Amino acid sequence: MSLATVTTSGPIATLTLNRADTRNALSLDLLRDLHAAVDDLDARIARDRNLHVVVLTGAGKAFCAGMDLKAVLDNHDLALQLLSTLAKLTIKIRKLPAVVVAKVNGAAIGGGCGLACVCDLAITHADAKVGFPEVDLGVCPAVVAPWLVRKVGSGRARKILLSGGLMSGQQAFDIGMIDTVCPSAADLDKTTDEITTRLATGGPLAQAATKKLLNELDDSLNEALVLRGAQLSADVLSTPDAQARLRAKLSS
Amino acid sequence: MITSTTHTTPHGDILELSLARPDKRNALTPEMLTALRDHIAACKRSSARVLLLSGQGPAFCAGFDLSLCKDHPDGSVMRALLSSLHDCIAALRSLDIPVVIAAHGSAIAGGCALLGGGDIILTNAQAKIGYPVPRLGVSPAVSAPFLRDLTHDGNARARLVENTLIDGRTALRLGLAHECLDTPEAVHPRALAIAAGLAAKPAAALAATKRWLAEISPILNADSGLQASLALTGGEEERRLLPQAWSRL
Repeated sequence: MSLATVTTSGPIATLTLNRADTRNALSLDLLRDLHAAVDDLDARIARDRNLHVVVLTGAGKAFCAGMDLKAVLDNHDLALQLLSTLAKLTIKIRKLPAVVVAKVNGAAIGGGCGLACVCDLAITHADAKVGFPEVDLGVCPAVVAPWLVRKVGSGRARKILLSGGLMSGQQAFDIGMIDTVCPSAADLDKTTDEITTRLATGGPLAQAATKKLLNELDDSLNEALVLRGAQLSADVLSTPDAQARLRAKLSS
Repeated sequence: MITSTTHTTPHGDILELSLARPDKRNALTPEMLTALRDHIAACKRSSARVLLLSGQGPAFCAGFDLSLCKDHPDGSVMRALLSSLHDCIAALRSLDIPVVIAAHGSAIAGGCALLGGGDIILTNAQAKIGYPVPRLGVSPAVSAPFLRDLTHDGNARARLVENTLIDGRTALRLGLAHECLDTPEAVHPRALAIAAGLAAKPAAALAATKRWLAEISPILNADSGLQASLALTGGEEERRLLPQAWSRL
């Protein structure tokens, strides 16, 4: 079974990270399935212009716990492959000619929070735990940094990435990292449905043209930049300090 | 190391640089800014893991000491102030370690410009913040490239052309500050606690992250900003407006 499943309902498709037993941590297998699912969505949208809203969400309680580093810790090449695959996925999602909405159903951490920032809109609930704790683990969040800068601006991105740690969905809303926050997890389906239903009334061509222009204005599709980020992130990951911290974290 | 108007205090891995002219609300002189620039440069060669910039007394910084400028209508003091202010902000931005700024009470004009060098900026709700310098015949262009990076362009534009001050809560909303405390007294202890938290984090990861952020979001046209401000110094408008402002103080 694919780790990334797509369901459609009229103009709205839902792409679900389906690895709930690991809180949807981004393994190479999950990332490859996400690539295939986004390629499939892209092809479907090309055939059916009526399909123009995509919801990205996670199965189970978490949205996405971030990179699954367990399997790649000892191997710089594998780590680079994992991070590069995420980097290319971010570009692919950004490029989709549909409005992409992150339905952050629970924890969105590190690379997982980065995925939420790639989307055109992000919705969560007040108590969700989101953020970028990479520096706490000796890791550099270089793949996701350009997406956070585009989402909240350079000044706030510096504060967030250098501070590490996590914040609540409400705090993320207050600084513009999340666009809509609902009071509790129980309200998330309803709020998301309202927003996606409204988005579905927009003109698909107008939305796609607007998104394309916005991508040009902020150089969103600069793949070389995120791939350099993947290289930097993999290099920092292989330092003894990061290795020791990650090992301690993974064994806890 | 202590100079008369800028103190450095090491707290373990944290190096605190404080503007120390409290009776003048830390109004900046060319000497203070030169000392500050040198301390920042020395910080690069030290083992400090976090830099905390603060101000002693009731306010972080009230801006340039205009009383020095009025005696030099040729603009020489203003030029020295603008150039060394630019050097300080650029030096702060070039550090590999996080920069925390405790901007309590007020951060006005040149004091507000210093915020452009910070990664994490704290202030208080009633603080007075802004760049009301065009009414002095002075252009805040020197800090515009850095302010633009801290807030969005639209917000920066509005702040730079308006002659008004904003409060701490508005600064928080605009991105000019990242944390807003209830009282000015609460700012420094909180800034020190944040600095201590940062000092305990892995330095290599922080440095790599700072360098990467500087690379993907570079400060554009910093030198043009300085030149635009310098071009007006000693001019007719400044000679006419600056003494009027001085008489208002």
